[in-house]
Amino acid sequence: MNMLASIPGAMDAVITGTTLAQASAPAPMAASQLAHYLFVSAALFAIGLIGFLTRRNLIIMFLCTELMFQAAGVALIAFSRFHLNMTGQTFVIFILTVAAAEAAMALALVVLLFRRRESLNAEEFSEMKG
Amino acid sequence: MGCRVSVHGVSGFLLFLSPAGLMGIDAFINPYLFYGAVVLGGLGICMALPRGGKTAQIVRAVVAALAGALVMLGLGAKSVASLPNIYFYIFSAIGLGAALRVISHPRPVYAALYFILTVLSSAGLFLLLSAEFMAMALIIVYAGAILITYLFVIMLATQAPTEDRPEELAEYDTVAREPVAATTAGFVLLAVLTTLAFNGVSTLNPPPPGTPDSVLVQIPRKVERVLRGYQLIQKDEKVEGFNRVSGDGVTAIESVVIKNADGKTREIAKEAWPEELRVRNVEQLGLNLLQDHPGSIEIAGVILLMAMLGAVVLSRRQVQIDEDAKRRQSQTLAQTVAEPAGQGGTSGGAA
Repeated sequence: MNMLASIPGAMDAVITGTTLAQASAPAPMAASQLAHYLFVSAALFAIGLIGFLTRRNLIIMFLCTELMFQAAGVALIAFSRFHLNMTGQTFVIFILTVAAAEAAMALALVVLLFRRRESLNAEEFSEMKG
Repeated sequence: MGCRVSVHGVSGFLLFLSPAGLMGIDAFINPYLFYGAVVLGGLGICMALPRGGKTAQIVRAVVAALAGALVMLGLGAKSVASLPNIYFYIFSAIGLGAALRVISHPRPVYAALYFILTVLSSAGLFLLLSAEFMAMALIIVYAGAILITYLFVIMLATQAPTEDRPEELAEYDTVAREPVAATTAGFVLLAVLTTLAFNGVSTLNPPPPGTPDSVLVQIPRKVERVLRGYQLIQKDEKVEGFNRVSGDGVTAIESVVIKNADGKTREIAKEAWPEELRVRNVEQLGLNLLQDHPGSIEIAGVILLMAMLGAVVLSRRQVQIDEDAKRRQSQTLAQTVAEPAGQGGTSGGAA
C-alpha cells in the first residue's frame, strides 16, 4: 500500500476501482488505457501463436487457436469501450459463434484421426493418404 | 516488378525502424524499455516451453512474468494521470500467466483447465470494460460449453494407463517443436503488433461523451413500464414521445412526453426520472445486434447448423458386423420375440 501511495494517481485507481461494473453512461476512456488493453490482447495473441507453433498435440493446438480468439475478443471489447460503440461487443458474439463451430468440427476430426492412428501427434498425420 | 516491391518494402521497414516510426509508441512507453522487455519475455517463454527433461520451468516462467510486469510499469509510468483500474492488473496477470501455462503444461487436461482460468480472467477484463453481457456469455459459452467438450475429447483420446507403464506422458506432449524459432516469430509479431497499435492509438481522438440514453427513444414500452412501476404516470396515460436537445453534435433526451386519454400532454424532465430508467448493456447490445446486423445473425445460425451436422457426420462410428454375426443375432432375437423361430430367423438374416 505504501508503494502504491508513492505513485501519484495509483491511489485514485484503487479507490475508484472498488466496484467492478460501471454506470450505464461510462465516461470516455483515455487512450493510454486503451493501449494497456491492446498490449494485453497482443501478448495473449502472441502466446497463442507460440503455442500453436510449438505444441505437437492436436488438441492443445486447437486450444491455442481459442487463445487467439480470446485475444481478438479483448481487443474488440476494448475498442468498443473506447469508441462507446456497441458494434465491437456484437462482433464478440460472432467470435463466440465461430469458436463454437470450430471447436465442434475440430474435435470431431480429432476423434476421427485418433481412431485411425491411436495418437494425437500432429506429425503422425503429415502424410494423409486416406 | 518484384524487385521494386521489395525495395519499397525495405524502405517501409526502415521508416518503421526510424525514430519517426517510433513516435507513436513513445507516447505510451519508452521504446527501449518495451523492446528490451519483449526480448526478455521471449527468452523466458522459450525456456519455459516443455523440453522433455525435468527443468525448473517455474524459474523461466518468472522471467517472462517479470518482462510483462516491466511493460506494465513502463506503460503506467507514461500515463500516471489515467491509470487503468487496479483489477485490470490482477486480471491480466492471471490471464497471461494461465495462457503461459496452457502452452507449457505437458498434460493436456491441465492445459484445458488453465485455459478456463484465462477465459475467466478475460471475462473479468470485459466487466472492467463495461461489457457485462459479453462477460457472462463468455463464461457460459467458453468455460461452460466449449471447454467441457475439449475435456471430454481429451479424456476420450488418450491412452489409458496399463499395468506395465502406469502414467506415461506421450513424447509429443513433453517435447516442444522448434521452441526457439516459434518464440522468435511470436515475439517479433508481438513487437510489431504493439508498435503499430500504439502508433494508431496515438492518433485516435477520444469520442464525445456518450449519451446511451438516446437508445431509450427506441424502447418506449420499457420507459412506460418503468414509469408506471414508480407510479409516475396514471392508468389512462401513455408515453407519447421524447423531447430532445442537440448540441455539439450530440443529441440528448431532455424529457419524456406523457399523453392522457383526453389528449392532454405533460412532460417528465430527466432529473425526475427514477434511477431504474436507464439503458442497460444488454438492451444496447440487443438493439445493435438486431437492428444493425440482422443478416449476420442468420449467417451465424447457418454456421452453427453446418458445424453441428458436420460434427455428427464426422464422428459417427460405422459398426461393421460380419454377415454370420448378423444372422446369429437376428436368430436369437427372433427366438426371444416369437416362439415359431425358424422363418423369422432366416428372413432377418437375409435382410
